[in-house]
Amino acid sequence: MQDTATPLVVRGLSKAYRVGHVLQSLRPVLQDLDLDVRPGEVLGYVGPNGAGKTTTLKLLTGLLRADRGQAWVFGLPLADRRWRHRVGYLPEHPYLYDYLTPAEYLDYVGRLFGLAASRRRERSRELLALVGLERSAEQPMRRFSKGMVQRAALAQALVNDPELLILDEPMSGLDPLGRRLVRNLILDLRKTGKTVLFSTHILSDAEALCDRVAVLRAGRLVKVGALGEILRLEVAHMEVFAAGLGPDASGLENARREQVGDRTRLEVEERSLGRMIAAVEAAGGRVLSVQPVRQSLEDYFFQAMEGRASGEGTWGEG
Amino acid sequence: MGGRLSRLRAVAANTFRETVRERVLYNLVFFAILMTLSGLLLGQLSIRQDEKIIKDIGLAAMDLFGLLIAVFIGVGLVSKEIERRSLYPLLAKPITRGEFYLGKFAGLVFTLLVNLAVMTAGLYLTLLATGRRLDPGLLAAVYPIFLGLVLVVAFAMLFSTLTSSALASIFTVGVVVAGRFTDVVRNMREVAPGVPSWLVETLYLALPNFRNFDFKDRVAYGDPVSPSILAWATVYGAAYVAVVLALGLASFRSRDFQ
Repeated sequence: MQDTATPLVVRGLSKAYRVGHVLQSLRPVLQDLDLDVRPGEVLGYVGPNGAGKTTTLKLLTGLLRADRGQAWVFGLPLADRRWRHRVGYLPEHPYLYDYLTPAEYLDYVGRLFGLAASRRRERSRELLALVGLERSAEQPMRRFSKGMVQRAALAQALVNDPELLILDEPMSGLDPLGRRLVRNLILDLRKTGKTVLFSTHILSDAEALCDRVAVLRAGRLVKVGALGEILRLEVAHMEVFAAGLGPDASGLENARREQVGDRTRLEVEERSLGRMIAAVEAAGGRVLSVQPVRQSLEDYFFQAMEGRASGEGTWGEG
Repeated sequence: MGGRLSRLRAVAANTFRETVRERVLYNLVFFAILMTLSGLLLGQLSIRQDEKIIKDIGLAAMDLFGLLIAVFIGVGLVSKEIERRSLYPLLAKPITRGEFYLGKFAGLVFTLLVNLAVMTAGLYLTLLATGRRLDPGLLAAVYPIFLGLVLVVAFAMLFSTLTSSALASIFTVGVVVAGRFTDVVRNMREVAPGVPSWLVETLYLALPNFRNFDFKDRVAYGDPVSPSILAWATVYGAAYVAVVLALGLASFRSRDFQ
């Protein structure tokens, strides 16, 4: 019996696709995935294109059948459809019926959840306002831009006020305003105790929003954990921007130096910072900014993809 | 059970709304009525045959354009769902694949019913315009046409779950054409003796005989069609539809949406 409070438990989930027409072979796209999504957290599912992120989310939502393994949503096995009343799903590159208006579409989705007509109208109004489409509520979606369709698709994922939200590349196709809207929406959902599992290849989004991240590479889970556990949080180096330094300024030999327009960017070790600032001033320059640089998720990601990230081989469920 | 029915109705209603908003459908119904009206002109060229010609042309238009509509919506609407992936967000909802498939079928059947009703009204209006009485016997030809078209939609949906929309259209039309010439299939061995008898027998039994839904000539000549014949056509059509729907459902349920 699985824990009914845990939004998602995945054990040994595997999937292979048949490739080729005449001589078919099996290409594994997801192998032995073990993953827990905890109540109230935002879990980022990151990995490069083709890593198996979308396949995982499709397996969870029943669009694909798993070859092996099992998953439980709020303690119920995938085959039990009752959990679907508590989950919202946004597919990657969604296509919604373009002959419908977003209000009609949300009404349709509400009917699939068995909501009463008055509740459907109310929910439709709330959600269209939430995603910034209230002015386009009665416009056929065939006139929508890609970003507007993405917003409408996000609204449909929220019709049932889900406790667990599964979002496949939710920022895809959005302009900066739309991205900020989705970011704020995810943060607001977390504040209200909702659980969010979202896949992304935009690492800054994962870094800004997630309590934990799961890193996937070539169908295998490489690491799961809080950002603080995954990334080395100690300062890697200090970044100093200075102005008024000539090319032959002395005392800066120990720093990596780079000219950025009329400014000079210096990379120095933390313990040499004081000496470096003194040297800049002695050379007639002016310090514009000093900033500690830590390993970013992006740095980690590139190392992991090359198989160089620290601790590889012991990575597993975080 | 109530939830199941309400989800099925929601899909059916949305399918009907989709077809109502398709311009191509209006064009097909318009041409069918135009063809029926052309019977007026042809009727005037013949002596004492005008009523028969109007009925002949009207029913043939209903049959032909009904078939085009059935293939167009049966293949188009289901393939489009799969190819454009519009069903992805929906299949993650509490609706089962079976409910979705049957809801789609119900919506398409209702669309056919409305289209045939419009075309039948067109035929009756044409007859009225020539001073003829409203002959309820016409419905004895219209109803089996409807049954045949429901079967066409079931085949179109089955093929749509198995292959691309282009191939599904070709296969559906192929089944209808072969189904209208099942006698040729049965007598195939006389023309090509090399064909194994089991193959001929299997083909003959597997193909629906669409002639069982064709009473156009009898009705146009004013011959009565007994209720027992219509009941037999209903049972035959319903049995075939049930089998084809079950195959389509099995295919749709087992399909991976990559």
